[in-house]
Amino acid sequence: MFKAKRRLVLLAAAALAGTALAVVLLSGWASGGNSGVTDVAGSTSAVLYSVGHRPLAPDFTASTLTGSRLSFSSYRGRVVVLNFWGSWCAPCRQEAPTLAVVAEQYRQAGVAFLGVDVRDTTASALAFVHDYGIPYPSVNDSGSEITLDFTAVVPIAGTPTTLVIDRTGHIAGAVFGTATYAELSDILARVTGKAGTS
Amino acid sequence: MTDVRAPESGPSGPPPAERDERGRGGPGRSADPAAGAFGLADWLRWAWRQLTSMRIALILLFLLALASVPGSIVPQESTNPAGVQQYFTAHPALAPWLSRLGLFNVFGAPWFAATYVLLFASLVGCVVPRTFRLVGSARTLPPRAPRHLTRLPRSARYATTLPPDQATEVAARLLAGRGFRLRRPVNGDSDGHWVSAEKGYLREVGNLLFHLALLGVLVAVALGGLFGYKTDRLLVQGTTFADTQSDLDEIYPGRLVTAADYPPFTITLNRFEASYITSGAQRGQPLSFDARISYTAQPGGPTRTDNLQVNRPLSVDGAKVYLIGHGYAPVFKVTDARGQVVYDQATPFISGSSGNFLSEGVVKVSGAQPEQLGFSGVFVPTAVEVNGVLESAFPAADNPAVSLIAYAGNLGLNNGVPQSVYQIDTAGMRQLTAQPQLLLPGQSLKLPDGQGTIAFTGYVPWVSLQITHDPGQIPALICGMAALGGLLLSFMVRRRRVFVRALAGGPAHLGGPEQGSTVQVGGLARTDASGGFDEEFASLAAELRAAHEQAAASQHEGE
Amino acid sequence: MPVNVALGQVSNGFLIAALVIYSLSVVAFAGDFAFGRPRRADSAVRVEQSRERATALATVASAAAAGTASNGSGDGPGDGAGPGAGPGQGAAAAAANSMPEVAPPPLRAIRQAGRWVETGIALSVVAVVAHTAAVVTRGLAVHRAPWGNMYEFVTALTCVAAIFFVFVMVRYRAWALGVFVMGAVVVALGLAETLIYTAAGQLVPALQSYWLSIHVTAMTLATGIFFVAAVLGVVYLVADRYNRRVAAGKAEAGNGIVRRLPSMEQIDRLTYRTVVFGFPIWTFGVIAGAIWADQAWGSYWSWDPVEVWAFITWVLYAAFLHARATAGFRGRRAHYIQLLGFASLMFNIMVVQVFITGLHSYAGVS
Repeated sequence: MFKAKRRLVLLAAAALAGTALAVVLLSGWASGGNSGVTDVAGSTSAVLYSVGHRPLAPDFTASTLTGSRLSFSSYRGRVVVLNFWGSWCAPCRQEAPTLAVVAEQYRQAGVAFLGVDVRDTTASALAFVHDYGIPYPSVNDSGSEITLDFTAVVPIAGTPTTLVIDRTGHIAGAVFGTATYAELSDILARVTGKAGTS
Repeated sequence: MTDVRAPESGPSGPPPAERDERGRGGPGRSADPAAGAFGLADWLRWAWRQLTSMRIALILLFLLALASVPGSIVPQESTNPAGVQQYFTAHPALAPWLSRLGLFNVFGAPWFAATYVLLFASLVGCVVPRTFRLVGSARTLPPRAPRHLTRLPRSARYATTLPPDQATEVAARLLAGRGFRLRRPVNGDSDGHWVSAEKGYLREVGNLLFHLALLGVLVAVALGGLFGYKTDRLLVQGTTFADTQSDLDEIYPGRLVTAADYPPFTITLNRFEASYITSGAQRGQPLSFDARISYTAQPGGPTRTDNLQVNRPLSVDGAKVYLIGHGYAPVFKVTDARGQVVYDQATPFISGSSGNFLSEGVVKVSGAQPEQLGFSGVFVPTAVEVNGVLESAFPAADNPAVSLIAYAGNLGLNNGVPQSVYQIDTAGMRQLTAQPQLLLPGQSLKLPDGQGTIAFTGYVPWVSLQITHDPGQIPALICGMAALGGLLLSFMVRRRRVFVRALAGGPAHLGGPEQGSTVQVGGLARTDASGGFDEEFASLAAELRAAHEQAAASQHEGE
Repeated sequence: MPVNVALGQVSNGFLIAALVIYSLSVVAFAGDFAFGRPRRADSAVRVEQSRERATALATVASAAAAGTASNGSGDGPGDGAGPGAGPGQGAAAAAANSMPEVAPPPLRAIRQAGRWVETGIALSVVAVVAHTAAVVTRGLAVHRAPWGNMYEFVTALTCVAAIFFVFVMVRYRAWALGVFVMGAVVVALGLAETLIYTAAGQLVPALQSYWLSIHVTAMTLATGIFFVAAVLGVVYLVADRYNRRVAAGKAEAGNGIVRRLPSMEQIDRLTYRTVVFGFPIWTFGVIAGAIWADQAWGSYWSWDPVEVWAFITWVLYAAFLHARATAGFRGRRAHYIQLLGFASLMFNIMVVQVFITGLHSYAGVS
C-alpha cells in the first residue's frame, strides 16, 4: 500500500516537473538582456553601445556607385554613419531626406556618411541618389559581403539599418529600421559630443 | 495488447496462472473509500485514473485524428500563406471566424497542443507504472504451476516410464535450454513435482520502447520548433546572396533562434538549366533541374562549386540548402523622359497555376522623372496566340515574349510601407497604354507623351532556394526507428507460460507402467498478436515427450 | 531513359489477363458457397483445441481411441496422435494421451475442401502470377519502380493484397473468405483500368530518387495488406449483423453464406493479425516518407495534406489496436474503427492527392 502511494507521489512530481519544463521550453523565453546596450529616445529599434561594449566595425573595400574604389579604413579617425539601403526599399525612401539633412548638419563636425547599397542595380541606385539629392557616396554590396561581415558583429535584421561608428572604428550606435531625425541626431550628439549645425 | 489494469474474469480476479505474482498495485487501488466526502486527493486520483485508462486514450486518439482533418482542408499559414490570403478574400465573412478558432494554424493551435499533450500525459501515466511493473516482474519468478493443467487453453498429457522427479528434471532442462525462466518447487513444498516456465519479456520491452519512442519524437519535434528555422530566397542567375537575416526573403525562425544563428555562407547562382520532355503524351513534363552554384561557407573562405538538384540538397555549416522551384526573370531597361536609364535589371516574374510557366510580374521604376513609371504584365516562355489570348505552349523559353501594361504616377513607395515586389498599387497611377503591348526580345515600347521607353532585352532564369536547419531531425529519426523496433518486438514476441507437472504412478486405467508418471503440460500465451502459440506449444509438447522417451530409453539401457 | 512502349503494352496485357482470371476465381469461390462440400464453420480455419475436448478425451474407451487416433483429419476435429508419437505406442497408451493435434498440411486440406475450392485457389494463384508479371513488366518498361502514379499504385497494391491473401488462405485455411477479397481485387483493378489508367511514362524530377522505391513500396505493401483487413472487416460486420438479427429473432438461422464462414472470433482474429502485419509497414513507410521529404522539400514533416491524412490513418489504426484491448470497444466497434482507418487511407489516395494541392501532387491524374 505504501509503495503504491509513494509511486503515485513520485509520478505526480515527475509529471509536474515535466509539465513545468515543457511550458518553459515551449513558451520560449527571450535570451537575457544584453549589458551595455541602452535604448535611444524611447525607441526600441535605436540603441547605443556604451564604451567598452562597442563591437569593432570590420574593414571593407568596395566599388562606389560611380565606379571608383573606396576603402573603409580611410575613414578611421572620423565618426562615420553607415547606412544600408536599397532603391527597392520603401522605408529607405522615407528616411532618405532625413539622412540627407543630418549629413549636412553634421558635416562641419567632421561626421562622414557612407551608404551601402544592397541587392540593387546601378541604374536604379543612381536614380535614387539623384532623386533624393544624397550628398554622400555609396558602395555597391551586391555580393552581400559587407552585410555579412557586419552581421557578425551587430544583428542586422533588415533594410534599412543605420550604424554609427566612432572615431576608433567601433560601432557606437545603431538604428534598426527607418531612422528618424530624433534618433539619429540623438545618437550623433552623444557620439560626437557635439550638436549639429542647422 | 491486454490491459493489465482491467481484469477480464470473475470477481476473484484472473486465474492464478495468468496473474502476476506481485499483484497489481497502482494508482487508486489502495483507496478505501470512507463513508462520506470525496476529498480533493480522491478526485485527483480519479481524474488521473481516468486519464490513463485505455478508454480515454482511445478517445484522445480519435480526437487527435479529428483535429488534424481541418489542417488538410483549410489552407495553413505555415505552408501556404498566399492561400490563406486568398481564403480571406474569397470568404470574407467566414475567414475571421476560422482564424479565431485557430483553423489557419491548426498544428500550432492551443487546442491541438492540448489534445496531444493530454494523449502523451496519458501515455506517460500508463507507461511509467508498466515499466516499474516490468522491472518488478523481471525480478520475480513465474507463478506456481496450477493444479489442473488440463484447464489451461493449451494442454497435453502423456505417460512416461520416468519417475516424477526425474520427469520434471528432464522437462526443466529442456525448457531452460529453450530460454525459459524457470521456477521449481522449493524443498518442503508438498505440491508435487512441477516446473513453471515463462518467456517473452521482450514483448513488454518492445511495447514500452514504442510508446517512449513516440514521446521522444515529440521532444525532437519540440527541439526543432525551438532551435530550427526555415528561410527562403529567390536568386536570379548571376547574382549572389548571403545567408543573413537582411538578405533572405522569408524567414520562419524557431522560437529561440536569433539573427546570429544563421551560418554566414554566400551562394552565387552561376547557371540554371531545366530540361523537359519534348514529345509524346508527357510533353512539357519536367525531366531535370540543375542549379550550378558556387558558394563560400564563411566570408573569406574558399569558394566551392556544386550542382543543386531536387532531392539533392547542399549541406553547408549545419544548414541544408534545397532547390525548391524556378522561373523566369525578363530583363528590362527603362529610359525615362529625361533620357536617363533609370532601370536596367532582371525582374523575377512568378508563374501561377496556369501551365507551361506563363509568369506574371511587375516593374516598378521609382527613379523615373518627372513621374514614376510602373509596368505590369506577363512573360510567356513559348508564346502562342489562342483565340486572341496569349498563352504558353511549352515550359522552355523557345519563343519568349512579354506583354505589358504601362502606368505613370505615384507608386506609393514614399510613405515607407513595404510593398510586395510582385504587385503594383495603381491607385495613384494612370494607365498609359489602352491595350497590353507585346514585346519580343530586343524590342522596345515607346511610351506616349514622351514619358520614356521600356526595352525587353532578354531573360534569365531564377531559382528559389530554401535553407533549413532542424536540430531535432536526427533525434526524431532515431526515435522513429526505435518506435518501429519496439512495435515489431511487441508484435512478434509473445509472453507465454508453460507448466509441466508429473504425477506419480500410472493409474491402471491409463495403462501406464506402475513405476512411471503421467506428465501434464499446460501453456498459455498472455497476448498472441501474431498467432503461432498453438504451433509452438504443440512442438514444445512433442519435444518434451521425445526428451522423456529418450531419457527413459537411456535409463533403461543403463540398467 | 525513354519508355519501352512495347513492354508497357505487355504489362497491360498481363493485367487484363489477371483481371479475367481473378473474376473466374471469384466465380469458383462463389460456386463453393453454392454447391461446395458442406462443412462446419469452425473447421475452415485452423482448428483449436478446446478444454472440453481435452477432458472428454481422457475418458474415451481404448477401442474408440484406437480408431480416432489413426485417422487423418476429415471434416471433424481430428485428434491424431502428435508427431512425436511413434507407431510403437499401444492403443491404450494412445488413448491416455491427448497431444495437441496438428492440422493437416495445406494441400491436403485444400483437396479435402472440395473441387470448387481447389479451382478457386488454383485460379487465384495463376491470376496473382499474371498480376505480378504485369507489375514487373511495367517496372521494366519505365526503368523504375512501378508505382509512380495513381494507376500504378492501385495495380501494385491490389497485387500485394492478392499475394498476401493467397498466403492467408493457405496458412489459415480461410478460403471461405476468398470470394470477398478476390472480388474486391477485381473491382479495384477494374476501376483502375477504366478510370485512372495512365500510359507508362517518366517521372517528374521530384520523384526521381531512390527513396521512391523505399517509401512508396512500403506504402503500397501496407495499403495492400490493409485492403485485405478492410474486406475482412466488412465480412465481419455483415456476419455479425446477421447473427444479431438471428438472436433477435428477426432472421432465420442457417443462412447459407454465413454458415460457411469461419466463426466471428476467427474472422476477428484474422483481421487483427492482418492489421498487426500491416501497421509496422505503414509506420516504416511514414518514416521513410519523412526522410524523403527532408531531402526533397527541406523538412521532414510539413503537415502537407497527404502527410496529415497518412498521420490520421496511422492514428486510427493505432486506435483499432488499442480498441481490442479496451472493454466495450471489442468486436463490432473495433472494426468500425478499422474501416474508418481504411476509409481515411482511401480518402488520402483518391481525394487528397488528386484534388488538394500540396507538395504531394504527383498523382498523374488530370
